[in-house]
Amino acid sequence: MLTRDQSVVTYESGLAIPDRLKRSTHRAYIILAQQMLRVYENGVGRTRRELHQSVSRVLQNQPDCPPRRVAAFCKLLDESATYIKDQRGSAAKLRQMVFRTAAPLHPLVTEADAWFEHEHMAAKLRIAEQLGMSWPDIERNLFSDVIEFHTLQEFSGYASAEDLLARYNVAQTQAALYDAVRLRVWAQQDFKLILRYAKLARLMHTIRRINPATYCFDFDGPTSVMTSSRRYGVNMAKFLPGLLSCRGWRLVAELRPPRWRGRVTLKLDSSDGLKSPVSAANNFDSDLEREFSAKWGDQPRNGWTLKNEADILHVDQKVFIPDFTLVHTSGQRVLLELVGFWTPEYIAQKLDTLKRFSQHPILLAVAESTTKNFSHLSGSETRCIIPFKRRLSVTAVTDCLMNSSQRLPAE
Amino acid sequence: MNHLSFMDGTLVLEGWQAQAVERVFGTEIWTWDGRANCWRCAAQQYPQVLKLLQEKATGYVDTVPHWQAVKFRAGKLPTLRTEQQQAVDAWLRTRAGVVVMPTGTGKTEVALRIMQHMSCSTLIVAPVRDLMYQWHRRILAGLEVDAGIIGDSLYNVRAISVTTYSSACIHMPKLGNRFKLLIFDECHHLPGRVRSDAARMSIAAYRLGLTATPKPSGHLANTGPSRLDLPLGGSPNLDDLIGPVCYELPLEKVRGRTLADYDVVRIPVHLSDEEQARYDGLADVVRHYMHQRRTEEPTFTWEQLCMESSSDIEARRALQAYRQKQAIEDRASEKLRILEDLLRLHAGSPVIVFVGSNAMARDVSQRFLIPCLLSHCGKKERLDYLDGLRDGIYPALVANQVLDEGVDLPEVKVAVVVGGMASTKQAKQRLGRILRKRADSRAILYEVVCQNTGEAKRSRYRRDSDAYRGTRHRRL
Repeated sequence: MLTRDQSVVTYESGLAIPDRLKRSTHRAYIILAQQMLRVYENGVGRTRRELHQSVSRVLQNQPDCPPRRVAAFCKLLDESATYIKDQRGSAAKLRQMVFRTAAPLHPLVTEADAWFEHEHMAAKLRIAEQLGMSWPDIERNLFSDVIEFHTLQEFSGYASAEDLLARYNVAQTQAALYDAVRLRVWAQQDFKLILRYAKLARLMHTIRRINPATYCFDFDGPTSVMTSSRRYGVNMAKFLPGLLSCRGWRLVAELRPPRWRGRVTLKLDSSDGLKSPVSAANNFDSDLEREFSAKWGDQPRNGWTLKNEADILHVDQKVFIPDFTLVHTSGQRVLLELVGFWTPEYIAQKLDTLKRFSQHPILLAVAESTTKNFSHLSGSETRCIIPFKRRLSVTAVTDCLMNSSQRLPAE
Repeated sequence: MNHLSFMDGTLVLEGWQAQAVERVFGTEIWTWDGRANCWRCAAQQYPQVLKLLQEKATGYVDTVPHWQAVKFRAGKLPTLRTEQQQAVDAWLRTRAGVVVMPTGTGKTEVALRIMQHMSCSTLIVAPVRDLMYQWHRRILAGLEVDAGIIGDSLYNVRAISVTTYSSACIHMPKLGNRFKLLIFDECHHLPGRVRSDAARMSIAAYRLGLTATPKPSGHLANTGPSRLDLPLGGSPNLDDLIGPVCYELPLEKVRGRTLADYDVVRIPVHLSDEEQARYDGLADVVRHYMHQRRTEEPTFTWEQLCMESSSDIEARRALQAYRQKQAIEDRASEKLRILEDLLRLHAGSPVIVFVGSNAMARDVSQRFLIPCLLSHCGKKERLDYLDGLRDGIYPALVANQVLDEGVDLPEVKVAVVVGGMASTKQAKQRLGRILRKRADSRAILYEVVCQNTGEAKRSRYRRDSDAYRGTRHRRL
């Protein structure tokens, strides 16, 4: 992640537009990115300051390249680099030795005279001799623990120039979010993932259903309910890479940039082409679900269509997204949760969740070996338990839907 | 279940109907949080909430505080001077307020005495890492307690702990219910937009602010008033975050008594011909650009230029020219020569040199082989330099902003400020460094300023401030 000082964002008629290098408008940057990568690839042994100077030379002739963009590239390159840090304080020891040896000679003067006889260059050579080193060596190492003077040890790099540019674009969008006070996401897919990434970023959610296919999530933090605070902007920025790996969403963030009057919004959606550094997650939690979904197919069976993770149950900040929703042509929706062969901890957690959401009718498909755990669930009169041996069959579910359709109230 | 708890820097009240909340607390304190089905307010409200609960409610469960008992061994602290005792007494009357005392008049002793009197779990918040470690040492020496350290990549929470403003802001959601007393050192740092969360997210009823300058400085050169970060939705100030000023000791009152009397000597330096030529060239670039823009747009400001520099190559050149111009001033070679003269003049007496940048600090350090105190210095190295200067092992020391505020320095009579900013706050703090009383001798502050450049102007601003008033100015 970039620092605020490396953020490049323009504000235009109430919209925040983070810096974005595109193929169409910034073609030259592919070659520039290659050159920047080469600076680091060939830069082992050079100091951070030298590397940053080289990077800024690569970009210096670009008419539209602000210093912050240069700084941002340096940061991203540094994120893949390992520098030799003076761990054991050898530079500090050297300084202490040099300064202590020099103290009796103070002040070191430009020209020796009757009062002060220690000309500074001669004194330095003498000190070096006393310490058994050469003066140029001392000079080079005296401040080698200062961050700008760390030397590059290794550069793990980026897959390609395009990859570096993609990371840059994401990083700038993240940096713009540091000023966010509120984040709203409309989603039609990947609800579970989106909410999971938000939780990982320690954000709180408010969930509303806009229509059967669309949910609206508001993300903020504990104090947001009292005052608007940029405090959670960093969390929102951390959430972004995860969100970018999801499908079918649209985002609006309310920003309050310091030194800027009024509100600004940042808009983004899953078709904007920002490439997530997080790889897309699997659609299904288990093979059991995948197989069942494949067997059911896309077409309705007895009027029921199978949808993957399509409904969100939520109480306070607890969320439960059943594996499937069966949607009838009449509009009726039935939730279906698959409980496979898992560890006792998994079963215990699942039971806990089901108890918490016991007011919601739900079909439970449970592996035979674990059925006994589920028989005493409270509210189970509204649930139908479908035991299965190794795989859940489509007919077992359709039979249950047929038999119990009177008993299953509409969600 | 009527449950009051602490969560992420807020208080959470569960199981209460709206009417009950209104009857007990009125409508000001709590906000309904539909996200978690609870009432929520800033942790800072805890004393008020508790008072109302005790008065008007029964049968509630309060799991908020996680305070640890504290017991100090008595008698190690020095006797306080009259004004220090007055400050302690004034604070004890309200137990939430700001003590304003000039640098060098013993704010730390006041705080330690208050800590000893209160004997409760205490968090001290300092502006920078160095000061945090300094508090740690002072607490160890004065109260014989090894305080926990939160910050500098350490997270060691104890009943008595020290931290920095940035760490406090980050960790207060977890720490807010652990301390009864908060001490904000150099508390004018607190009212930043997010920083002030360090005060809002804590349940501590007892709050002490320490500062030499309760208000943000009046003249912030180069930054403009927009830097006075005001928060979103209401502007927190020290009154709300800590409490009103409960004691104020003006600088005039102590000058010549507790503090050494001091002279300010201003030494103009001239850029070398080559530097001057480059400087003028760069100044032209800046002036030309501003002139051109103001012809088109009379209200064009420096802030606009900074903003446009991200998209406009001309604006960027002007800004770069401005920065290079500043760098020439900062590292003018003549300054090193003047410094040599001053070090010759005061050979045998410890000297502290303040400079405007890390690069200049290293220049000075390498030229004269005197220690430089920069942020990369570890705790041990720093101590060695500070103790070494006091004990005469090192003849002089050079420092950047690290030492601007509150760092306890060995007593020196000679300080040199090379360049630097115009903020009156900074000037006061810097002066405080050399004002330690030592017998009857007067301290001298030299100011080495480039002539015909922006530095001369900044120096004039600085002399207008309270700290410099009535001092003598002379040319060498």
